[in-house]
Amino acid sequence: MGTPVTHAPAMEGLSKDSEPRHGPVKPVRPAALKRRRRQENLAGYLFMSPWIAGFLLLTAGPMIASLYFAFTDYNLFDSPQWIGFDNFSEMFGDPRWRHSVQVTMWYVAVGTPLKLLAALGVALLLAQNRRGQAFYRAAFYAPSLIGASVSIAIVWRAIFSDDAIVDRTQQFFGIEVGGWTGDPELIIYSLVALTVWQFGAPMVIFLAGLKQVPRELYEAAEVDGAGKLRRFWNITLPMISPVLFFNVLLETIHSFQIFSSAYIVGGGAGGNACGPADGSMVYTCYLYVQGFENSRMGLASAMAWMLLVAVALVTAVLFWSQKHWVHYEEGA
Amino acid sequence: MGTGTNFERRTILKAAGATAATLGLATTTACGGDGGTSSDGTVTIRYAWWGAEDRAQRINETIALFEKKYPKIKVKTDFQPYTDFWKKFNTQASGGNPPDVFQNAIAFLRKYDSKNVLLDLKEQVDAGNLSMDGFRAGLDTFGEIDGKLLGVPVGSNSMALVIDKPVYTRAGVTPEQGWTWDDFDAAMKRIRDRTGRAGDTGPYNVMYLYDLYLRQNGKAFFTEDGLGFTEADLTDWWTKAKRAVEDGLYADVKKIGQIRPKSAVTGELSGGEFTWDNFTIRYTSEGTSEYGLAPIPTTDGKRTGQYLGSLMLSASRRTEHPKEVAQFIDFMVHDPEVAKIMGYDRGVPATQAQYDAFKPTDEVNKAIAAYEESLVEAGVLEPITPHPNGADICEAAFLRIGEEVGLGSRSVDDAVKQFFNESETALVA
Repeated sequence: MGTPVTHAPAMEGLSKDSEPRHGPVKPVRPAALKRRRRQENLAGYLFMSPWIAGFLLLTAGPMIASLYFAFTDYNLFDSPQWIGFDNFSEMFGDPRWRHSVQVTMWYVAVGTPLKLLAALGVALLLAQNRRGQAFYRAAFYAPSLIGASVSIAIVWRAIFSDDAIVDRTQQFFGIEVGGWTGDPELIIYSLVALTVWQFGAPMVIFLAGLKQVPRELYEAAEVDGAGKLRRFWNITLPMISPVLFFNVLLETIHSFQIFSSAYIVGGGAGGNACGPADGSMVYTCYLYVQGFENSRMGLASAMAWMLLVAVALVTAVLFWSQKHWVHYEEGA
Repeated sequence: MGTGTNFERRTILKAAGATAATLGLATTTACGGDGGTSSDGTVTIRYAWWGAEDRAQRINETIALFEKKYPKIKVKTDFQPYTDFWKKFNTQASGGNPPDVFQNAIAFLRKYDSKNVLLDLKEQVDAGNLSMDGFRAGLDTFGEIDGKLLGVPVGSNSMALVIDKPVYTRAGVTPEQGWTWDDFDAAMKRIRDRTGRAGDTGPYNVMYLYDLYLRQNGKAFFTEDGLGFTEADLTDWWTKAKRAVEDGLYADVKKIGQIRPKSAVTGELSGGEFTWDNFTIRYTSEGTSEYGLAPIPTTDGKRTGQYLGSLMLSASRRTEHPKEVAQFIDFMVHDPEVAKIMGYDRGVPATQAQYDAFKPTDEVNKAIAAYEESLVEAGVLEPITPHPNGADICEAAFLRIGEEVGLGSRSVDDAVKQFFNESETALVA
């Protein structure tokens, strides 16, 4: 893989002076070439312009604005008043905010590992060549496509209510805890269930990773008398660790951002949208309440930036942890 | 090479043209959204309200009447349940794009006046587009704040105990004007014991009811600029409530949350609840039982603390069509046909003309008329409690934190502290 490097200078030299691949070679003046380059660049930028405009207007602009608002008292109607770090100190002193942090951490810490476990487990089953494998793959993947939608959240709320299917099933087994959506303690688990149900997306990635593991390794291990568990632990897991890392990273970040499903499962129309006794009040839900119900956009902006910092920190820790458990194939 | 360059240039031009066209299209669409005046002089105004499906049907009928009389004005409608309505409204208003005309309530008048959202309709009254004559006792000034006319009342209503009549009958409870809270508590026990249903949804987190209770005791929920009661008052109120929930006198809070937006009364979780008297209309369309009105329990056997409230129609200060909006409001509060369609859905009509136009024939509407007459006869009506800027947030906090007390997920002391903290923040801001 290292050899092509030697060709590079030669090719560079060629393209600088002439265009060998085009038919009759006309001498091209450097100025004309430069002009043409510029035009090509211009075309590139023009093609990108809708995206650039969108990025600047819809992402970068609002982000910078919200960074400013984070340090102001801003109720959407009156002009923002600079208050320094007051929003942040208020946040830390607010028991409801601390509660929302707790709920979110709980959701991420329980939901993400369960989802990845389910994804890996099913991926291992599907990695073996069997009949109808494509069907199963599609079937398990389907929930990921629709899981984040509003309609599924409404269905979810319905099936986890009192006397609905989950409650009835529990009752059948003699568990009398009632519907989950009405219970401050249990409602978060209905959200965990919703995210675990969408294990299809990481599963597909795991599958791709599993197919990459060279057969020879297993064969060699088998010859050496390694059992199934041992093969999984010493071959599969290290070999797919980059994929595992990718999934952990993606799903963790994703979990921190849960909003719409929590908002709907927790609220329904016309009530407190954060679940009974704020039981499903994940961070973004409280952010929404402060921003749009209480008209405290400054505080909400500060909360949003706090979330960004938290996610960045978690990501950094994950990247740092890589060297202890993620194995990249040498030379790849 | 020359041709190549040309081709490229043309491609670029095309791409640029396409981009410009797309952007242009987007701008045109955006322009179509507001303004609302088309080439033939037809004006479109946006009208939003909160309520349920049955109210929407009635309102759409009245709008059809209006558009027939004013063919040059088109009305675009939008409605949500109460809390969702205000979230949406707040967002629209802050973005400078509130509906031209909308349903309003007393708790929101000062708030949106202080944010310059509401149109002073006095000018339109002076211009002759809106008449404030012919309103029933005192209602013409109900929507006035600091000399500005910010809301036009559509109908008077009053807090009441809305009951599931068969449940009360089966329990053998017949509330009478002047009954006391002790009588009420005894009634709750009877209903629970004899019908197996909770006696009430739970009065403890209904701001407008707690206000009445405080008024019976010489206080009120709000003063001009703050809360009108102490932490000790609320601790007593919620401590008593917590026990009642535990005893099954008030409905299971877990269940109440799950059947929303349906009410606990129509969901057959409770025998009744404290709310506005016109709610019997909604409940009748929502539930299967018969719903009636009972008097508010008293502390001294006489004072109920009640006052006449009213929903209002307000206009946005940013509307481009103040004249048409004023004509719309005028039509909605004065036209007799509108009254016949609306009935008492938004309270007993505010103007005498509409009041006379609608003579209820069905039990539900008759009961509302009789209820309001009985309040006048009993002489219990008093002036309304002030609702300072931030009252709406206090109401939401009272509802939510009270619910946590009912759920048992928060101790009473903690809940009281939390409520006072949140309210003080809301009332200062």
